[in-house]
Amino acid sequence: MLQPHSLLWHYLWVAPSVLLAVLALLMWRRGLHREFPAFFGYAIFEAARGLIIYAIDLSPSASATTYWRSYLSFLVVEVLIKFVVIGEVFTHLLRNYPPLGRLAKGLISGVGVILVFAATIIATYANPGSFWLISATRILGRSVSVVQCGLILFLLAFALYFHLSWDRAVFGITLGFGIVASVYLAHWALMADLLLGRRSYLLDFFNMATYHACVLIWFYYLLVPHKSATTSAVSVPENSLAIWNRELERLLQQ
Amino acid sequence: MNLAIFLIITAALALVSILSVAIRRSLRVKDSAILIAAIRPIDLEAFRNLINPVEDDYLRRRLPRSQFRLVRRERLRAMAAYVRVAGSNATVLVRVGEAALASGNSQLHGAAHQLVNDALLLRRNTTVALARIYLALAWPDSEFAAVRVVDRYERLSGTAMLLGRLQNPRAAVRLSALV
Repeated sequence: MLQPHSLLWHYLWVAPSVLLAVLALLMWRRGLHREFPAFFGYAIFEAARGLIIYAIDLSPSASATTYWRSYLSFLVVEVLIKFVVIGEVFTHLLRNYPPLGRLAKGLISGVGVILVFAATIIATYANPGSFWLISATRILGRSVSVVQCGLILFLLAFALYFHLSWDRAVFGITLGFGIVASVYLAHWALMADLLLGRRSYLLDFFNMATYHACVLIWFYYLLVPHKSATTSAVSVPENSLAIWNRELERLLQQ
Repeated sequence: MNLAIFLIITAALALVSILSVAIRRSLRVKDSAILIAAIRPIDLEAFRNLINPVEDDYLRRRLPRSQFRLVRRERLRAMAAYVRVAGSNATVLVRVGEAALASGNSQLHGAAHQLVNDALLLRRNTTVALARIYLALAWPDSEFAAVRVVDRYERLSGTAMLLGRLQNPRAAVRLSALV
């Protein structure tokens, strides 16, 4: 079952692409494409990319060079789109919190520069393989995963520190991207250093299954309606702090 | 090889952090009453005295330099304790404001929005102020004033009070007392 070109392998490759195409269609029908244009574009691109690469992999006339050249080209575009989606998430998260805008932009720029610097250093330590296209793909994948994983973690940490409230859909997109980025980071780290050798297909299964799960997460957070939370009215217990109120009001009137 | 292991451990930690954020989000307390109970009172007058630059100048003139440094460090530590509590209270008030916004009550919306913004500004200011206090602890002779934090705290108290009055006129006074 856990063999390349097994039924599970075919399913895990094709299903996320098909599901993403359905997700894009449903987003368009519900008008979500206007709210999340970058993620909508990402869903369409990923659906097309997955199916095209799958067709190339199955095609007997396509050589390994053609496969890896296509894979690398799509990876470059995917990387760019993912950064745009992260930017979109960032904009949505801070939309309701203007006081934090400048601080957040300054911090994310700084974090971005540090992560790119770290990724460049990591890229220089890569083991070059015999086929440059595969090596280039793995090194690019690993370096980009470092930056994306770092940015998502920064976003989550920033929101956690300030207790920012996440929009349900924005949180779902971030959660999916975060899981994918961290699993890809581990995947590319193993692949770039050729640690698994011939059994690297096992990692592919894990990778594909994770991606499938993340597509389902996006379905859930973007399309399943949110139950409205019921909040109780403010009721403050009895306390002996009334004196502070008088002092505070005195200060406020100054 | 070492780099790969380091990256795999980093990725695993990142994944655990991301999943824990998702779990924490789903378990988040939204009851305003529980949240307000977490607010700790602050002696604003004492805090004002601590951050008063005139008092620092007076101590600087009256005390020998070595003793001034000791006293100044003690005052900075006390100041840090106050700022930490102010920051923690601001965090609670962000959540109270968010809970009020989530309730969908149009009467509360303006006050709740204002409370969230003021509380976030205070949280940001307390973070910056804490960094400056820790720097000042390393160089106790340097000038430092956390006046902006106090001003923000006063404004936040007013906003919290307004929200409290809108939500529950009887409880408003007690809410403002806590903040």
